Amino acid sequence: MKRADHLQGSLDLLILKTLNNGANHGFGITLHVQTVSEGLLRMEEGSLYPALHRLERSGLIKGEWRKTENARRARFYSLTAEGRRRLAMTERSWSDVARGIQKVLEFV
Amino acid sequence: MKRLLQSLLRKFRREAEWSEELQAHLEMRTEWHREHGLTPADARAAARRQFGSELAALEALRSVHVRAWLESLWQDARQSLRGFRRSPGFTAVAVATLAVGIGASTGVFSIVDPLLFRSLPYYRGDRLVSVGFLAPLDVNEFQLGAPHLDWQRRQTVFQYLTSMRPGYRCDLGSPTPQRIFCIAVESNFLKTLGISPMIGRDFTADDDRPRAPLVALLSSGLWKREFGGDQNVLGKGIDVDGEPARIIGVLPNSFEMPQLGDADLLLPEQLDEAVARAPGATVFLRSFARLRDGLTIQQARGGLRPLFDEYVQHEVPAQLRSEVRLVVRSVRDRQIQDVKLASWMLFGAVQALLLLACANVANLLLARSAVRRKELALRAAIGAGRGRLIRQLLTENLMLGLLGGAAGCAVAWALLHMFIAISPAGIVRLAEAKIDLRILAFALAVSLLSTLVFGLAPALERPNAEDLAGWRYAESSRTFFRKLLVATQVAISLVLLTGASLLLKSWRNLEAQPLGFEREHLVTASFTLRNQEPKIQAVLLRELETRLREIPGGGVVALADSIPPSGAMHARPYSNMRIAGRPPVATNGGMVAFRWVTPEYFRAMGIRILSGRAFQESERASGESPMILSESLARKLFGNENPVGRQIELSADGRWSKVVGVAADVKNAGLVEEGDPEYYRLRMNDSLPDRTNVAVFRTSLDPETLTRWIRHEVAALDPSLPVTVQTMDARVEHLMERPRLVSVLVGLFALMGLLLAAVGIYGVISFLVAQRTREIGVRMAIGATPRDIALLIQKHAGLWTAAGAIAGVAGSMALTRLVRGLLFEVSPSDPWSLLAGLGAVMIAAALAAWVPSRRAAKVDPAIALRSE
Repeated sequence: MKRADHLQGSLDLLILKTLNNGANHGFGITLHVQTVSEGLLRMEEGSLYPALHRLERSGLIKGEWRKTENARRARFYSLTAEGRRRLAMTERSWSDVARGIQKVLEFV
Repeated sequence: MKRLLQSLLRKFRREAEWSEELQAHLEMRTEWHREHGLTPADARAAARRQFGSELAALEALRSVHVRAWLESLWQDARQSLRGFRRSPGFTAVAVATLAVGIGASTGVFSIVDPLLFRSLPYYRGDRLVSVGFLAPLDVNEFQLGAPHLDWQRRQTVFQYLTSMRPGYRCDLGSPTPQRIFCIAVESNFLKTLGISPMIGRDFTADDDRPRAPLVALLSSGLWKREFGGDQNVLGKGIDVDGEPARIIGVLPNSFEMPQLGDADLLLPEQLDEAVARAPGATVFLRSFARLRDGLTIQQARGGLRPLFDEYVQHEVPAQLRSEVRLVVRSVRDRQIQDVKLASWMLFGAVQALLLLACANVANLLLARSAVRRKELALRAAIGAGRGRLIRQLLTENLMLGLLGGAAGCAVAWALLHMFIAISPAGIVRLAEAKIDLRILAFALAVSLLSTLVFGLAPALERPNAEDLAGWRYAESSRTFFRKLLVATQVAISLVLLTGASLLLKSWRNLEAQPLGFEREHLVTASFTLRNQEPKIQAVLLRELETRLREIPGGGVVALADSIPPSGAMHARPYSNMRIAGRPPVATNGGMVAFRWVTPEYFRAMGIRILSGRAFQESERASGESPMILSESLARKLFGNENPVGRQIELSADGRWSKVVGVAADVKNAGLVEEGDPEYYRLRMNDSLPDRTNVAVFRTSLDPETLTRWIRHEVAALDPSLPVTVQTMDARVEHLMERPRLVSVLVGLFALMGLLLAAVGIYGVISFLVAQRTREIGVRMAIGATPRDIALLIQKHAGLWTAAGAIAGVAGSMALTRLVRGLLFEVSPSDPWSLLAGLGAVMIAAALAAWVPSRRAAKVDPAIALRSE
């Protein structure tokens, strides 16, 4: 449970952070994460959507159908106020953890 | 239904949307791969590989949504429980009210369900009818051999028409000699009911021919009891009343006779046409039929009418024609005839009680929502959606309904057991009354409906800023609704109370009425002689009489073929009595009952001889035929003349009888019915009027000792002769049981209803007071006295109670008419019962309003004005 939370937490964080740049659809989010992480992070596409729906049910993001630039119908997600708050919080705690781990790893 | 479809539709639409979302992803990924140089086919394959199973993703989405839904439900439930804990008073009253309403209605439903609603154990039991003549001879329709044979040939309205002989006791010779219930039925009897034997075969037309070798079908009870449930019982021989019979089958466990009599053994009727058609023959039958498809009972009756009219025209003496009717009625009606009205009334009474309970819960929920509006407004203000709020309220009401429903089931269970404990033996189908799944479903439906419907009203209202501030005063429409509820409650409980007081009064009349004999210190012993030579029976009876009279301390002993206050007795048409030297009597006099008694009968029963004398022992061997008339028969035959010494011809044996005395009337047809007038004849020493006999003992011996003596004496003569010993008190009590049960139950419901209505009034007035505290403060500040305030509040209560009472009086007058059949010597419009009900409602209402009005009178203006 805890471990899943941890992983899920990171997936949620990536989604929220990506959406912080503006509304996007699922595919856009995977593309964004892959590009920005320079291929280091690859999202498992099948599990992205349950995560999106879960976040939507808990009111952190909001989804709506829109047209992409290629005039394709897709479901775009954007952050809610609640989501923005949650992002700020998680971001802070996450970078604390990351910094901590970094320090432990750098210790020789 | 529509909502169900809508929600299904919504579900499909949602799933389609999810699938579209995933599809869009796949397509965008495919496009991306193509832009990066893959062929269209490879691009698609790569996208699929990357995405994994689409079905699994959909499943995952589904579970996300289900989990989210469950979580919020759990959250709502927890919140409701917290709310209940915060207001234990509200919760307790609401749950208790629901428990009373649901418990009573479920309990009574479980009792009347097998009577009124559950299907009969036959194939399409609702198509089965009972057919026959109704005449003063019997309370049930009967059929005779000759018309039955004719109708069977000529009728067109039934698929099958069948018959049986009324049940009789017969002696089973083997394996264990015992007396059982045998029923002789026509060969198409089981086919008509749509039943086939569990093992073995049904009767055939051959079995049913007169003097065919006797065959028998065992009831499953007898089969298990006497044959240990042996499958190889078929073909075995048994001995029925001394005749050999062969077992051909066993009836199913669920088998019951359509007239609900006992049946251990079915035998073929073997109706002999020659015997049935012989002049003066009366082959007495019960007849049942299955309606032809598409025909109603009315149509069947209409179709049978010409045959009936023809028979009556040719065969029934002119003076009796007006008293013979054709009856075609459903088997269910035949079964529950005397409890049908009582069942429907009980059912109606508890539905009224349930309505009262629902009104109370609605009232409570409305009051609570007024208080909670602030909380809801607050939650709306911090972002809870409207749907979410509605769901929260719904969950709360659901939980309340479930709690009330669970408590109600406990009440129902207790009520059912109480009912079974205090109810008389022989209430039809009581053994089948139980709380089963259908009953639980009924309770669940009722509890959920009652809370959801009434709980939704506050949920649908849009909370607004005014509520948040607690400033709302414009309450008029809502309080109007609440007062209307209270008025309705008053009306319903008044109807219940009036009904209950009518029934109680009728019960009291029943208890107090004179029976015509003295019921104390009277012990009765009834027995039916074995089916054998009449001569042997007469000797046996004579011997038995001597033995019974010699019981030490037995007191005054007499023998009769029947005794009051109920049970079968001999009867004949009044119109064929002839008085010497007088023109024939009126033709439409109904029936005259008669019984054969020994001289001590009147002394033993405590029946007064009004003029003339009782029979004398010396007359029993004299060859004369003295008779004693009942008071009502004497008046009917002779008016104010003295009948003693007159001669009457009893055409039954063509001899003249001399009237030697007139005896007081006794109750013969139960406690309620007016019996036929009767006369008594003397039992001669060597005569055997009937195989069934009752010995009565007017004794100072205690009944147990006497019972032992009686059994000892009977056993000494014939060990296999069963005898039933009962005190007369017990016999009379037994007849009282049902009216008592019904009045007690309805009285109980009426009291509960009154309590609920009082709680309702109390609630509304309290709420009114709380709401108007400030106004009361102002009034007091400008000079109103506490008395004025109390009056002001009382006036409110009085207005709505009066409105309810008027509706209730109207309702009572309309509805109590329906229970006329349950009343004894009380008119349905008995003003005293109505007044008693009205008084009770008014007092309860005044008390319920008094408490909050006192609180209002004590309001301190200084505090009230500051209160908000």
